[in-house]
Amino acid sequence: MLPQEPDRWHLLRRVRSVSWLLGGSALALSVIGLVVISSASADMNTDYEVRQSAWIALGLVVLAAAAAVDYTFLLRYAFWIYLAAVAVLAAVTFFGHEAGGARSWIGIGGFGGQPSDFCKIATVLLLARHMAEAQAPVAPRGWLWSASAFVVAPVLLIALQPDMGGALMFVPMLAAMSIVAGLRLRSALIALGVAAVVAGAIWVFALQDYQKDRVSSFFRPDADPLGSGYQVRQSRIAIGSGQMLGKGYGEGTQSNLQFLPTPHTDFVFAVLGEEYGFMGVTVVLGLLLLYLGNGVRAALAARDPAGMLLVVGLLAFIAGHVLYNTAMVVGLLPITGIPLPFLSYGGSFMLFCCAATGLMIRVDVQRFVNI
Amino acid sequence: MMSLQNPAQEYSSDWVLLNMAVRLRWLCGVLGVALAVVIGAYWYHQIIRAEHYERLAENNRLRVLRLDAPRGLIYDRSGRILVENTPTFRLMIDRSASSDLGASLAFAAGILGREERELRAALERHRGVAREVPVLLAEDLELTQVARFEVSEPEHPEFEISTSRRRLYRHSFQTAHVVGYLGEPTPAEHDRDDSLAAGDLVGRSGVELLRDRRLRGNHGERIVVVDSRGRLMGEDVQRADAEPGESVTLTIDLRLQQLAESLLADKAGAIVALDPRDGAVRAMVSSPSFDPNRFAGRLSQEDWDRIVHAPGKPLQNRAIQNTYPPGSVFKIVMAVAGLAEGLLDPEERVYCSGATRLYDRRWRCWQRRGHGFVDLRGALQHSCDTYFYRQGVKIGIEVIAAYARRLGLGGRTGVELPGESEGLVPDPEWSRDRRGYPWYPGETVSVAIGQGPLLTSPLQVAVMTAAVANGGFRVRPYLVAGGGEPPEPLGLDAEVIAFVAEALANVVANGTGRSARTPVVAVAGKTGTAQVVAQETWIRSEDLPPDQADHAWFTSYAPVDAPELVVVVFVENGGRGSEAAAPLARELIEDHFGAAAGT
Repeated sequence: MLPQEPDRWHLLRRVRSVSWLLGGSALALSVIGLVVISSASADMNTDYEVRQSAWIALGLVVLAAAAAVDYTFLLRYAFWIYLAAVAVLAAVTFFGHEAGGARSWIGIGGFGGQPSDFCKIATVLLLARHMAEAQAPVAPRGWLWSASAFVVAPVLLIALQPDMGGALMFVPMLAAMSIVAGLRLRSALIALGVAAVVAGAIWVFALQDYQKDRVSSFFRPDADPLGSGYQVRQSRIAIGSGQMLGKGYGEGTQSNLQFLPTPHTDFVFAVLGEEYGFMGVTVVLGLLLLYLGNGVRAALAARDPAGMLLVVGLLAFIAGHVLYNTAMVVGLLPITGIPLPFLSYGGSFMLFCCAATGLMIRVDVQRFVNI
Repeated sequence: MMSLQNPAQEYSSDWVLLNMAVRLRWLCGVLGVALAVVIGAYWYHQIIRAEHYERLAENNRLRVLRLDAPRGLIYDRSGRILVENTPTFRLMIDRSASSDLGASLAFAAGILGREERELRAALERHRGVAREVPVLLAEDLELTQVARFEVSEPEHPEFEISTSRRRLYRHSFQTAHVVGYLGEPTPAEHDRDDSLAAGDLVGRSGVELLRDRRLRGNHGERIVVVDSRGRLMGEDVQRADAEPGESVTLTIDLRLQQLAESLLADKAGAIVALDPRDGAVRAMVSSPSFDPNRFAGRLSQEDWDRIVHAPGKPLQNRAIQNTYPPGSVFKIVMAVAGLAEGLLDPEERVYCSGATRLYDRRWRCWQRRGHGFVDLRGALQHSCDTYFYRQGVKIGIEVIAAYARRLGLGGRTGVELPGESEGLVPDPEWSRDRRGYPWYPGETVSVAIGQGPLLTSPLQVAVMTAAVANGGFRVRPYLVAGGGEPPEPLGLDAEVIAFVAEALANVVANGTGRSARTPVVAVAGKTGTAQVVAQETWIRSEDLPPDQADHAWFTSYAPVDAPELVVVVFVENGGRGSEAAAPLARELIEDHFGAAAGT
């Protein structure tokens, strides 16, 4: 027991630039998000910037807590964590609050949270452990299928809420982790085929008309500027009219005159584009790139496959949100409810991002450490 | 602790990690490309297409609201309102605020009690207008309908009620042909006139057309900031107030106009009254008439067709647009021409046996019994046709035509109203050039009693009569107060005019115009009974089919000594001038001078 004693201090000495840059860029992005949210929600009844500040503060605690826990410990109990997360998710899906036509909320005091965000961490933990076991010399065959099966349960539950965007974000996570875990081309093609069939089935049986409208309106946004194409059109106008330097804090006419839908959550990046222009967009994308790059550095430093896969899965979730959200608000992808990490208003998603950051920091810090 | 691990496994784990790292770097490349695409999209929209989006954002945010200028009012000569504006409610729709346009239209159709199809057609007219600009859907809403739209505002924010003004013609039928009516401008007019906006109405006839530009005034403009639901935010960005249209005072005397209209009720015809001293039109009535209020809103095509093709063609202004043979009223021209040229000896007597033979034809006098020996005075007083047949031949068509034109026939009087007809004063030159065959000498005989190809409008007859009443001046009739011109001397010998004037006084005092005689004031006048179809045998007008019955004329002025009012009454297919027209003139003159005298 004695040799473990100096290890605690030993760990702190191993905190290097990766951790500071991960945490620093996350904090910088959160503060920028706070400014944009306060401008976007100036005329709204709720003080979203105050609430978001509270979430950021709570997020810092969660980040520290996640960084303080040995990730191998979490991996050991990954299956039980996963089971608990799916159970809560199922409970919410069938009995939760209804908000905006979707059952996806649980109330914790005055704040609401989406268990689907917690489920993301749990699923990544389980997949990281499962795929790492597949790296053993005598690897179990067919790990891709069992891994996919672990993903299907939360994805179906989230899709049922219905939160198509949230469900969709599991796809890049599964793809990135599988690729890093050593996906064979043949398996990849079969998986793509199955995915295509499932996607077709979802389109025919599961998607509601408004969701189909969104997808089809994406391909012709001006056909019906009042309907689904409206949001894309208004978002593009906001971004385009921001020009190089933007209109300034609180001067965005598109967001403040309510032409932009949900300017404080999913369309926060459009508000940024309108008020701070291409310059603001570049700075924020640069910070996001800095964050992701240091996440990758943490992954590359991981001492074992499970650690690397854990970081890759979390990064893939965050990168997926970043890419989809920034592409969606500028009209490159159909509109669906996918927030921008650290910038969009939203409690549980902020906590997810902070927890993911804490875990990445932990993997980096624990890079040489064997227990 | 290392010692606890299997070294082989440790080695393989490093090798595994190395392979995983390679694949992770490869994934990073994919991520980099994706991010580059996203950055490229922002570059394209924010830098390259920046101006395009800036314009769109401004269009979103700014809305130009027009401030309508109230159209000028129209008054009669004593300041009585003829035409004014009355408030009306219009239903506007902001198409960009409707989530389902079909449902919105169905909802509005339900409240308005109209077909959804009609509203859709109304909306079609505003196709080119930006979606965010509210457009006109329906007009003249009732208060209950307004209330229902206001109540449903939360569910149907796309509807807006705007108050507007509607033209109100207070005396509808009575002043219709003078004040005219409004209509929607044609696309060509929109192109030509920048001040016209969608939904504007412009003058289409009468004074409304004549003074359209000044009556319209100038629209103002408000540029405001609106939010996505069209709610006004903050102060106006820019504001220019509307300049109301100028009001117009007419020369029309409403009282005389109303009486004239009522006298012609159930008849087709026209009445013109004007001041012979300057040409100011005191009354101008054409019957049948129409209600210009029907045009004040937007007319459906069916309504329009119904009015245009109504029996009796009510839109035609018979006082200036239609021309008719003047009949014996033309004998005034004959007398002036003959005397002025010295071709007529006023004392010369002609024997009338009820008919005469000229150019191998028998020409009947209206008086079958004949008038016996008549001189010029008697011929005018009793309207002897035989006298004028014979003297007409002596005077000759060229002289007759020249004097007819000089006195105001055969050409536009110059009244400001649109669509005035020239009428026709025929002569051999006209026959050759326009008709293509020579003038028959016998036609001169017809023209001498106001028949033949001769055509005049009631207003032309009024101008001709005014020349006798004012001592030989040509007046230009006018309708807008202050728009008159000094009468033009015709260069006629004062004795000639005095002679004719005296004869016309006798017509009323003791001739064919006796039914225009009134104790109120001394009246001078001349009857006319114009044949509509040539008659070989003498048939009583009453026995003719209604559309071939004679036109009744009576032209008059009063007081005889110092004429102030010329009154021309024309009744289409009305029969004899002395019976169908002269009594109407008497009523008008009695009322006018009786009122002036305070009786």
